[in-house]
Amino acid sequence: MASDDFHRAALEHLDALYNFAMYLTRNPPEADDLVQETYLRAFRFSHRFQPGTHLRAWLFQILRNTFLTFYRLRERESALAEDGVPAWDAPMFHDAPEESSGAVEAHTDLERALRRLPEEFRTVLLLAEVEGMALEDVARVLACPVGTVKSRIFRAKERLRGLLRDYTKE
Amino acid sequence: MSDHSPDSDDALGARLRTELRRYPAPAYLRGSIAEAAEPPRARPGWLAPTLGAAATALLLLLASIPFLPRILPGDPTERLVRSVVAEHTRALMWGARRPEVMPTGLPWLTQESGIGLRKYFAGDDRLVFVGAEPVYLEGRRGMALYYRDGDGHLVNYTVLAWPGLAIPEARRVPIENRFRPALMSDSGFSAWVWRQGDLACFIVSDMVSESDVERFKDYFVRLRLSTDPVPAN
Repeated sequence: MASDDFHRAALEHLDALYNFAMYLTRNPPEADDLVQETYLRAFRFSHRFQPGTHLRAWLFQILRNTFLTFYRLRERESALAEDGVPAWDAPMFHDAPEESSGAVEAHTDLERALRRLPEEFRTVLLLAEVEGMALEDVARVLACPVGTVKSRIFRAKERLRGLLRDYTKE
Repeated sequence: MSDHSPDSDDALGARLRTELRRYPAPAYLRGSIAEAAEPPRARPGWLAPTLGAAATALLLLLASIPFLPRILPGDPTERLVRSVVAEHTRALMWGARRPEVMPTGLPWLTQESGIGLRKYFAGDDRLVFVGAEPVYLEGRRGMALYYRDGDGHLVNYTVLAWPGLAIPEARRVPIENRFRPALMSDSGFSAWVWRQGDLACFIVSDMVSESDVERFKDYFVRLRLSTDPVPAN
């Protein structure tokens, strides 16, 4: 694929990637950084993309891996904090503002419940249900077998239902 | 067959698709990513070899500078004036290297410069004494006394041991029917040049305009009458 064609095709998925980034980070500046970093990596390694495979899944895979890289880095830094209290609201990127200053609030029970899911459950629901991605593509993004994807979707929905029931009781 | 109860997988999937807000990418983000995607503009093919050749030529020129003949005035007096003016400029920009207070610094100055002062101009209401220091110009030792006038002009009186310095007749200016120093100029500075025994004397300042010349004459008279340099040996 020619470089210009690749860039054009990649930019067609910008809105979907940004939406995914927003649900992962819950913070617009961090989502900006995450998407920007995703595209920089995609452009830098465009020669590794195999034409004929799904560009969309490839981009989502880069975004998720980038998120996890920084997320794990943040977790490790939190674990090393002197007071031993993990700073979950620390920014994912060092130059991003604190989450509390720009975090997007959840407006519905569904959003609130989705936020409380572990990342692997949240991601699988966002990709399969919200983005409507085929299970094979979701498996490519998560780098796991399709069977694992199915099982995660099932468990994620179970967990989500339980959380929604809790909100209803409140 | 799909389960359509409110708690079913399908219903939950439908809620996720319809109830969750979608966040479109901001325009500025799209712009910055599109900008990053643009390939760098190709340079013209001739640019690299031209720049390379120009850089090589510049390097050769820089390397050959020490071997190029210097453009110096052929006349020794003019060359000496240029050196005195250069020293004056340096003092003007950076101040004296080691300004001495008079008269306490005079013995050391005499020892370093090889020039003694039987009397010296200590300043008055027009010129304020700033300091003095030994100088070394054109291979000769000497002494420089610095003054500043009310308008901020730095006036530099320099004496060098230079027997037989030629004073250009065409530039001599009669002052008060007593003195005939030469008025020379270099790099935007004026200089009075005269000989006092085996010493070459200079008064330098940036007073170059017509109106300044009369004042510069006055400064010459003040310094000339009140300063009496002699070789220290």
